[in-house]
Amino acid sequence: MQLTLFSQSAAGRYVPCRKRIPRLSAKTVLIMKLTAFLITIAFLQVHAAGHAQTVTLSRQHSSLENIFKEIRKQTGYYFLYTDEQLSGAEKVSLDVKNAPLQQVLDLCFRDQPLTYTIDNKIVIVKRRPVIPLPQPPPVVETPVKGSVTNEKGEPLPGVTIQVKGTSNGVVTDAEGRYIINVPSGNAILIVSSLGYDKQEVVVNNRNEIGIVMKTMAAGLNELVVVGYGEQKKGSLTNAITSISTKSFQDQPVNRLDQVLQGRAAGVQVTNAAGSPGGAVRIRIRGANSINGENGPLYVVDGFVGAEFFAINPDDIESIQVLKDASATAIYGSRGANGVIIVTTRKGSKEGLKVNFTSRFSTSEVINKLDLLNAGDFATTANAHATATGTTPPFTAAQVDGFYKNGGTDWQREIFRKAPAQEYLLSLAGGNDKSGYFISGNYLNQDGVINNSFYKRYTLRSNINSKLSDRVSTFLNITGSYSTAQNVDIPADGPHSPLAQAITWSPTVPVRDANGKYTVADPVSSVFYNPVALTTEQLAVTDRMLANAIGGFRVELLPGLTFNLQYGANYLQYENKNFAGKVVNSNSAIANVRNNKEVRLQNTNMLNYRKAFNGGHNIDLTAVVEYQQSTYKYTYAGASNLTYESFKWDNLTQGTAGSPQSGYSKWALFSLVGRANYDYQHKYLFSAALRRDGSSKFRKENRFSYFPSVSAGWVLTEEAFMKQQQVISYLKLRGSWGLTGSEGVGPYSTISSYSNRIASFTNSTFQTGIILGNIGNPDLQWETTEQKDAGIEIGLLKGRLSLTADYFVKDTRDLLLNEKLPLYLGGNTITRNVGAVQNKGWEFSVEGTVIDKGPVTWNTGLNFSFLRNKVTSIGATSQRIFDPNTRRIGGGMSPQSEFVIMPGQPLGAIWGLTYLGTWKPGDKDNASEYGAVPGDARYKDVNGDGMIDANDYSVIGTGMPRTSIGWNNTLSYRSWTLNLLFQGLLGFDKLNYNKAAAMYHGGDAREATHMDILNRYIPGVNETSDIPAFSSTNRNFTQSSRFLEKADFVRLKNVSLSYDIPKAKLKNTVGVKLFVSATNLFTITGYSGIDPEANSSAGDIRQGIDYGSYPNAKTYTGGITISF
Amino acid sequence: MQKIYLIVALFVLGGCSKQLTEDPRGLVAGNAAISNMAGLESALTGAYGSLMVPWESGFTTVSQIAMTMGADDLTTHPGSNKEEFREFDLFKVSSLNSRMTPIWLGCYKTIQSTTNIINNYQAVQDGSEANIHAIVGEAYFLRGLCYYWLTRCWGEVPIIPTAEYTPDLLQIKKSPVADIYKQIEQDLAAAEQWVADKKRDPGRPNKGSVKALLADVYLTEAGWPLKNAAKYAQAAAKAKEVIDNKAVYKFDLYQDGFLKIFAGGTVEDVFTLFTRGQWSTYNSFYGLSTMPENEGGWSDFFPELKFFNNFPAGSRKDATFSTEFTVNGNTIPWQNVTTRHPYYKKFRIQSGDPATYMSNNPVIMIRYAHVLLIYAEAQARATGTPDADAYAAVNEVRHRAGLADLQAGLSGADFAAAVVTERAWEFAGEWNRWFDLVRLEMVESANAGKDPGDLQPLPGAITHEHYHMPIPGNDALINPNL
Repeated sequence: MQLTLFSQSAAGRYVPCRKRIPRLSAKTVLIMKLTAFLITIAFLQVHAAGHAQTVTLSRQHSSLENIFKEIRKQTGYYFLYTDEQLSGAEKVSLDVKNAPLQQVLDLCFRDQPLTYTIDNKIVIVKRRPVIPLPQPPPVVETPVKGSVTNEKGEPLPGVTIQVKGTSNGVVTDAEGRYIINVPSGNAILIVSSLGYDKQEVVVNNRNEIGIVMKTMAAGLNELVVVGYGEQKKGSLTNAITSISTKSFQDQPVNRLDQVLQGRAAGVQVTNAAGSPGGAVRIRIRGANSINGENGPLYVVDGFVGAEFFAINPDDIESIQVLKDASATAIYGSRGANGVIIVTTRKGSKEGLKVNFTSRFSTSEVINKLDLLNAGDFATTANAHATATGTTPPFTAAQVDGFYKNGGTDWQREIFRKAPAQEYLLSLAGGNDKSGYFISGNYLNQDGVINNSFYKRYTLRSNINSKLSDRVSTFLNITGSYSTAQNVDIPADGPHSPLAQAITWSPTVPVRDANGKYTVADPVSSVFYNPVALTTEQLAVTDRMLANAIGGFRVELLPGLTFNLQYGANYLQYENKNFAGKVVNSNSAIANVRNNKEVRLQNTNMLNYRKAFNGGHNIDLTAVVEYQQSTYKYTYAGASNLTYESFKWDNLTQGTAGSPQSGYSKWALFSLVGRANYDYQHKYLFSAALRRDGSSKFRKENRFSYFPSVSAGWVLTEEAFMKQQQVISYLKLRGSWGLTGSEGVGPYSTISSYSNRIASFTNSTFQTGIILGNIGNPDLQWETTEQKDAGIEIGLLKGRLSLTADYFVKDTRDLLLNEKLPLYLGGNTITRNVGAVQNKGWEFSVEGTVIDKGPVTWNTGLNFSFLRNKVTSIGATSQRIFDPNTRRIGGGMSPQSEFVIMPGQPLGAIWGLTYLGTWKPGDKDNASEYGAVPGDARYKDVNGDGMIDANDYSVIGTGMPRTSIGWNNTLSYRSWTLNLLFQGLLGFDKLNYNKAAAMYHGGDAREATHMDILNRYIPGVNETSDIPAFSSTNRNFTQSSRFLEKADFVRLKNVSLSYDIPKAKLKNTVGVKLFVSATNLFTITGYSGIDPEANSSAGDIRQGIDYGSYPNAKTYTGGITISF
Repeated sequence: MQKIYLIVALFVLGGCSKQLTEDPRGLVAGNAAISNMAGLESALTGAYGSLMVPWESGFTTVSQIAMTMGADDLTTHPGSNKEEFREFDLFKVSSLNSRMTPIWLGCYKTIQSTTNIINNYQAVQDGSEANIHAIVGEAYFLRGLCYYWLTRCWGEVPIIPTAEYTPDLLQIKKSPVADIYKQIEQDLAAAEQWVADKKRDPGRPNKGSVKALLADVYLTEAGWPLKNAAKYAQAAAKAKEVIDNKAVYKFDLYQDGFLKIFAGGTVEDVFTLFTRGQWSTYNSFYGLSTMPENEGGWSDFFPELKFFNNFPAGSRKDATFSTEFTVNGNTIPWQNVTTRHPYYKKFRIQSGDPATYMSNNPVIMIRYAHVLLIYAEAQARATGTPDADAYAAVNEVRHRAGLADLQAGLSGADFAAAVVTERAWEFAGEWNRWFDLVRLEMVESANAGKDPGDLQPLPGAITHEHYHMPIPGNDALINPNL
């Protein structure tokens, strides 16, 4: 630092007096400057001279130093400054004539980071202070008060109010009131609260200001229903996905699974059967359990374990998908697979609202297999016979006839265009005290396979009422009746119309000359007529469901409420089966099974919620809950029916089988406690603990504790984030917790016998017992530990929101039904062995892409990536095979197709590796395997010259790794267009449909698939990897030959609706018209009918497609009328 | 505050955990299941039941026919969907061949049930000793029968000592064949003591059935692999006990039409599994399985041409084979059916719709002709000289077949060989021939010089290794000691 002092000598010369001062710390420098200043003042006191000098000066871009010199010349004033001060100074342009000194100086210093004072003819140059120095006495602060409300006029506590440019801030109290001191009448208040748009309010000399907050587009302020309570979306610390009714409005959804499909990150919905009312697999963050149910827990209006099929999507007010442990642990032993909370609609305060919708649709199968026509089939069958040395089944004349006249297209015979209709009516009404919502729904949907249908009737009545200021009550009752016929195709070939349609010879007519069904296919399939299987084989399920939940809510003290709820669920379902002579080896059979399940629930809940001054908010919950379920069935069947037409309605007219009956019961007793705390909606904490006792386990393992903790940090509530405008919301959160799964049926700890019949004459049988389930008294809960880290970002005033989550779910003490080897009787034992890990990412973006004038485009995109891995299966075995003993495909699989092995995903596909055909040059090598060129060649893993069980390995996985959903809503004036894409990626499928149609095994003796035309033909086509016709060839369908990638992306829904403006209808009614198409196209490399369809229930058995009911393309049109 | 007390009371009330104790109504559970006579009988019924679950467990499926296709009396379709059948005929059986499973599982399942009875019957609280012995005796018989099938098909197999599961059973080792026969003999000896002279039902054994099985066991022990020649005498003696008491046991050769034997219920039945048809128990290898596709059948199995051509003509040949078929009203000879082979008439359904896979036909495990021919062969081999009874036994069978007496004065070896040939004709297709060929080490010779119209095993395909089947792959994967 250089300090330069200009002094005026008598001779008019100045002597610069320079002195080097070492660089010092800022504080020291300040003191020195002051000291120097005081010394200078004292020293120069004597040189004081007259003031009223004027300056005339004209300079362009001159340095201050030069100007100071000129002024000193003209006025005799000294300047006191440092070089450093001037080094930061701007150049100055001046043009003044006889201007007073002070004015000239003001001009010089106007744009400078410097200022000056004049003391005794000395101009002292100073740095202009960045922060106003405290020396000007503070402006007298005036208080401003008022209250903050939302758009509905309700007071908002906890709103932050800050004076702009200061750190001065306050928070509104419980009544939304605030009081803040402002420095001036022009002060600006920044008002912000979680979930509301930030506002700047100019005080404008007012001392009372009422502020109305606008809800942010992202809806952070919405109350979200969580387990046993409600929470603001913005203060959640867990991974919950909400599905708004808007995202499926006007789309032809008639079941909850269709609502969930593609619309929520982390939720994977697979239509394993495309039939109406057919099986669907819903998984939240993968499958943990091998044994137990992996489907989520459905909680409808507080009833835990509701039946999802009975929910009418039109009744839904909101859906929350609870994913991480901190959200689900509150459901303890039932929460391991995620929880879906559905809240149904309530009455409206604004008087009666009526809504009526009707929809009509038509469906057709999405795809068909490429099968041979009759002529090509006959030619191929003859070639097969010639190659193996048997008599060709068709004469040349017959073959010509088939080419000329065609044959039967069995797929066309069993598939059809299927109509459907649906009517929905709802009434909502009420007044300030009470509300009601009543709705009814009728659905009648035919399936694309002949003679299959689903009909459903639902009725709902929701009533709520305020009995007094402190007591309110509600009662929700819903009833549903449904009947489904032939919607679940049996996975074994003989009774599947589809499996038979693809293996029956096209040379056989559907009916004989007498109009009766052709009984047998003499050439290809050994089983039943496909069309007869649709009409003469009936499987009907009638379901009757009644569910009621109701209770009281009492406000005991301000903030302290008590909830008492009772729920009952009565499910009665009847399975009726019939098979006529033509599809059942000449003996008509029928049976009926009557099932009854009664579930009762009592929930007692205490909740205390309080916002303390200073921004501390607490929310405490305690719950006691008891649930029980009783199940009973009776069964009767008969064969040799005297009158086929009676079916199951008069079983006496036939040979009776054994009557059967059964009973089981379970109960669950739970205690729950939870505490949520947040500080200024900024730091969020939650902890919960549940203790469950289950009847399914023995005393020592009966009770278990399920704790969880979570925390969140809303960065946008921090002062340092308040000034920026880009990120409107930013939250980081993390959670940890344990959930459980009972995973076993009642009485699993008890060894029991099962029934087995034997005959000792040729006309009777007796029912005996064999050892069945091997009881394991040590069974205990399956426990899932889940860790989750998430980030939520709102951008552009909430127009765009992003959520990302990373999770790791470790399930231990996995309950496994292990099938013992056959030499031990092949019994099943349930054990707690092994562990499974699911980990992955979820990512979702929601945003308004366009919001200009009449055009809006909302889009929601979600991705889930999931890695499922078995980490251990205990010490006793290396691998455990699927214990299911179905004979899928008539013995197409010599081993279980699915295996559980450490390091592999659940349900890895087990098979041989196909190496193509033996080529002419491989003759000697082939003969080691008893094969000839043209025969199938498999990888001999252990090199022992045999293809057998030791050569099997994991060849794929049936569990999708990635799911994608992309939902778009575009509106223009009264038009709304919705597009929903959905996809599943990263999985394989054994295409047994195709295998059955070309491998000459199982139940089919000839090939029917087009690909057989490209087979290896000695001397003609020796490059083909489709084996030749030969007596030595051995096909293994359970091999990579029939394994295909099943990845697909499809346009799940496209719909267009037109809302007729009310004005055009004299403001009396609202009318909306819509058309839509479902599954319009599918992008996939899979050569089967439907990559989504699979044949067997259970998560470990997804990778197989054999005769399963494919999905349909559906076109719907409809109308909604409201008034 | 009163309300708060009310709530506290509610919480406490909810805490009753009595509701969490299971009461398994209707569940047959634990040892109580066989603590009375009715339960013991029910367990025995279950043991039989596992021998008659079509396609899954036991003898009511085409499994035992498939597994014995290596013999010269059985073959299968060269094309169609018969890959697994061909593996047996061509001597390259994969451990995954699912046709083996019903026999493997059925036998072990029955061993489990009978072991449970044998190990726990002393806990039965009611019933007379005679009645309990009748049940336990049958259990011993079934267990002996099952181990006999297992060791003949697979050689060394594990002996399972208990019906209760313990994890160490997953590592159990195979037992030597000699030990298995020791077990079989012990079981059958116990059965012989306790099973009564009279069958409790047509589908159960009597004392004569037990002796007949034991005679068969001895005969087999005398051959490969044990080659314990001393057993021939025991076989002959045991068979003789049956022949001498055939009136007591109500056994005899059935004389009113050879074919009718195969509908069951004749005096020829020594031990027979009955089925009822109609979706309860049923027999699936009669009917479609044995019919050519020209008749809508499945062509699962039929005789080899050389065997058929060498079969001595007569009423027995006519009853054994179908040689003409009615297709669309026309009669065609066997040379014109798709596979160009005759079929087994024995397993055609004799009354009712023949074109079904679900009939109430029996599975005839042992018939009286077996007893006669066991005696004849065993006596001749044991003493080196056939006695008059041995000649009488074989000639009784030949007479019924419309054949002349066997040449008198044959040496023991020649006589035995003639009896073995007689057995081939008499029991054609009845899964007997294969076991004869194995115990006499004749598989290779019987498969030499096949008719060109039959499937030909690759040269050198047959060795003694192929006398036994590979242990089913699924079990071998779980327990590497197999």
